[in-house]
Amino acid sequence: MIPGKYRSVSGRAASNVNCGLHLVIQTSSLPEKNKVRFEKVEFRLNKETSSFPGRLLQHDLERNYSSRQGDHINLVSSSMPSFPILQRSSEEKILYSDRLTLERQKLTVCPIIDGEEHLRLLNFQHNFITRIQNISNLQRLIFLDLYDNQIEEISGLSTLRSLRVLLLGKNRIKKISNLENLKSLDVLDLHGNQITKIENVNHLCDLRVLNLARNLLSHVDNLNGLDSLTELNLRHNQITFVRDVDNLPCLQRLFLSFNNISTFESVCCLADSTSLSDITFDGNPIAQESWYKHTILQNMMQLRQLDMKRITEEERRMASVVAKKEEEKKRESHKQSLLKEKKRLIINNVARKWDLQQNRITNIATNQERKDSDSQDNSQNDGGTMSAFPEETGSLDSGLTSALQGLSVTDTHLVEVDGDTLSLYGSGALECLDRNWSVQTAGMVTTVSFTFIEFDEIVQVLPKLKIKFPNSLHLKFKETNLVMLQQFNALAQLRRVDQLTVDPQGNPVVNFTLWKYYVLFRLSHFSMQKINGTEVTQNDMIMAERLFGILAHVASSELPQYRLISILGDARKKQFRYLLETKGKKPGIVNEENNDSKRLVGENTNRATLNYTTRDFYNEKLEEIKEKKKFCKTYIEDLVKEATEINMKNEALQKLWPQMFIELVRDAVIEIRNKNSYMKICLQQITDQK
Amino acid sequence: MLSPERLALPDYEYLAQRHVLTYMEDAVCQLLENKEDISQYGIARFFTEYFNSVCQGTHILFREFSFIQATPHNRASFLRAFWRCFRTVGKNGDLLTMREYHCLLQLLCPDFPLELTQKAARIVLMDDAMDCLMSFSDFLLAFQIQFYYSEFLESVAAIYQDLLSGKNPNTVIVPTSSSGQHRQRPALGEASTLEGVEASLFCQCLENLCDRHKYSCPPPALVKEALSDVQRLTFCGFLVALSKHNGINQALGALPDKGDLMHDPAMDAELERLLVQIPGLVNSVTAGPEASCLPSRPPPRVGSPWRPLHHARKVDAESDGSTEETDESET
Repeated sequence: MIPGKYRSVSGRAASNVNCGLHLVIQTSSLPEKNKVRFEKVEFRLNKETSSFPGRLLQHDLERNYSSRQGDHINLVSSSMPSFPILQRSSEEKILYSDRLTLERQKLTVCPIIDGEEHLRLLNFQHNFITRIQNISNLQRLIFLDLYDNQIEEISGLSTLRSLRVLLLGKNRIKKISNLENLKSLDVLDLHGNQITKIENVNHLCDLRVLNLARNLLSHVDNLNGLDSLTELNLRHNQITFVRDVDNLPCLQRLFLSFNNISTFESVCCLADSTSLSDITFDGNPIAQESWYKHTILQNMMQLRQLDMKRITEEERRMASVVAKKEEEKKRESHKQSLLKEKKRLIINNVARKWDLQQNRITNIATNQERKDSDSQDNSQNDGGTMSAFPEETGSLDSGLTSALQGLSVTDTHLVEVDGDTLSLYGSGALECLDRNWSVQTAGMVTTVSFTFIEFDEIVQVLPKLKIKFPNSLHLKFKETNLVMLQQFNALAQLRRVDQLTVDPQGNPVVNFTLWKYYVLFRLSHFSMQKINGTEVTQNDMIMAERLFGILAHVASSELPQYRLISILGDARKKQFRYLLETKGKKPGIVNEENNDSKRLVGENTNRATLNYTTRDFYNEKLEEIKEKKKFCKTYIEDLVKEATEINMKNEALQKLWPQMFIELVRDAVIEIRNKNSYMKICLQQITDQK
Repeated sequence: MLSPERLALPDYEYLAQRHVLTYMEDAVCQLLENKEDISQYGIARFFTEYFNSVCQGTHILFREFSFIQATPHNRASFLRAFWRCFRTVGKNGDLLTMREYHCLLQLLCPDFPLELTQKAARIVLMDDAMDCLMSFSDFLLAFQIQFYYSEFLESVAAIYQDLLSGKNPNTVIVPTSSSGQHRQRPALGEASTLEGVEASLFCQCLENLCDRHKYSCPPPALVKEALSDVQRLTFCGFLVALSKHNGINQALGALPDKGDLMHDPAMDAELERLLVQIPGLVNSVTAGPEASCLPSRPPPRVGSPWRPLHHARKVDAESDGSTEETDESET
């Protein structure tokens, strides 16, 4: 149980109490008998807490009093079997009447202390005490040190109304409680315990130092009422957010090192605290963030030291500059993300419309409003990105939220220019080619991407594309309904295509084995370099020619001349017509076109007859021809009738002619039978004629 | 040519039978279409070129389907053109799907209907998965039969259905000889249990059909020959037999024999010339010219009118009609 005698402690039982406190206790001299020497006891408390758990906690209490402290204390067993009774020699009682040190006495319980009612300092450090007991009679106690024991619950202190310093570090306390009467408490040290919550301290309005380091706190609040608190040590906990600190009017130093704070929002109340001058966040996730320093500095202008380092003016200035930049960047990215979201919604809408068109999904929802909206240009950004959205009522944000809610977005197409790529979604987007593009923008575009647009519609605007975006070399098609090899013929009218990308999605033509070769064959005059990302090799060209070369030969050399002219003429007529509509007046353009067509004819005559007319166009033409065909039919019929009539007559004549001839001859012979009378008749006829 | 029957027909019908009117109408139509261009170099020359191209079989290139289908000669020309243009695809060994063949057809005729191609594919694939790959020669031969004789095949299909369901179409027909009437075999019971119909009965019906059909039909003798070694056959089997029978192919006259389908020395030579013209070409082109002469090959296209043989055959059939019928009555 209790070990034998208490042996005296040498004066140099130095231990540092690390709670950053400079506490001065002055013992007043007792008036009458005990001339106790006046002493100034200084407890210098360092700021450095040693970290966990490897290093030994140094608990040094520097004392300024004389090293001679021969406390001869006797512990005798009392009548109560569990509690020893403490007795001191009267000499010691006189010498050190107000302090009692029972350090490292291997005590497991608090002994009963008799006859020491004037005691003001009591030291139970480094024992094995499990409960605070038997000290309720020491009502003058000011300083109680129970560091490094095994106390599990704060109790037995209710009579110590004068207590000013309570050191309960390195125990096993789970809850702050039973401090109601300690209204004069100045220093409360509960570091190294198992406390999970700050509570029951709101009445301690004189408390200046509160040490809750190395506990199990997960958050900080419930601090109201601590009107004198100057220093709050919360190092080495699991704190994720801090509240109520702005209710502490005197708080100057707040140590939050080695917790779990990751955002400034979780400690934002600190910004409102005007008294804070010293704060530490090291060892928290927040300290690793790039924006850590300047965010703290920006939000806590009153700070003087951060993480134990003085804050210079330079740092503050930098912080504000950086903060401004961050703000701007955030705004910018927010705007960008809004734009992106809007774009994505539009594209979804266009995709849905496309699917409907392709009869892939049945038209269930019919409450889609269709607004025919004009496209309008937004102002150009610095980055050279220009997006055009159809008109919208209301602000961007409200539109976006409503769109996000109901998906009754009415935008039916999207045009986007992003550096060198022009992206068109939805067939309405093709109208953008009618707009006036700045030469610079149009000149930069090298890639044109078509999505959710019927290829037949694209074909019709290819001449415009050729003129408006002369540098477009790469064409991309996705969900454009490319189903026939023939459709690639239409691309031949462009000036030049370097790369072609046909996405398998929505373009069944890609499933054909021969499609690439056909493209290479038909568009050989472009000397294409890449198809769908793969380089075009010499072998590919050879294979293409080998597969389709005869087709070209047949199409050119074996067509009758008039067919050649009519087929080629058709294509050229179309181009001329378009040019005349737009800028035909300028002779330069016309010449260019002539040269173009000449070049066209010269380069690939044998393929030029392979054209593509869109289905509608083709049917139109056939309709037109119907009239002519009818006319031709009737005309030929008439001709045939005439011919057959003539033929019949001819045949009839042939049949009748022998007979007629014989009769003619017979008539003539009969007439001439009588020569004389014939002569007379003839002469008569002649005279009659006169 | 100068047989008396020729003069027996009234003029209009005579012309129509030879399809002369079709070509005349088309010629005039083309003239109307392109009168600005044609007027430059004269109408006479236009007509010369037109009918030359009709003779050579190039008149159907890039024309609409209704024209291509209009006359047997057009159909045969189209088949031949298709063969010539895309023989290289077959030679390359590529196996293509039905859709891809249809695409190739559309290159020559933009509005070619898909149903025809599908039916042709069905002959090759025997109604199996329609997405299977087919070889060029298989497809071409099947397509030939389907396209050239499409109306005939429709009637045959109807007859087949009738036979299958037990109705004997022979009871309706009153043929010129009395040989048909005792052919009413009650093959009803058997038809339902066994597959297809009896070959000989089927042949008989076909012959009757050929007699009265105004569309082109394969020569009945050859059909009989094709079906000679089978007892029963299904419609599919019938079509396959037709497509594979070399005699019918020859009778049609559009394509060379199956064995020679990949051979066309004239065009190969032409292709060599074209290949050489590709810029920067490393001359590793080995086409292995099949110049090992096939003397029986029909001469190259230029200017040799090749007659639709089947007409002559038909005439022969007519003239020998009595002999055949007497033959039948003997058996």
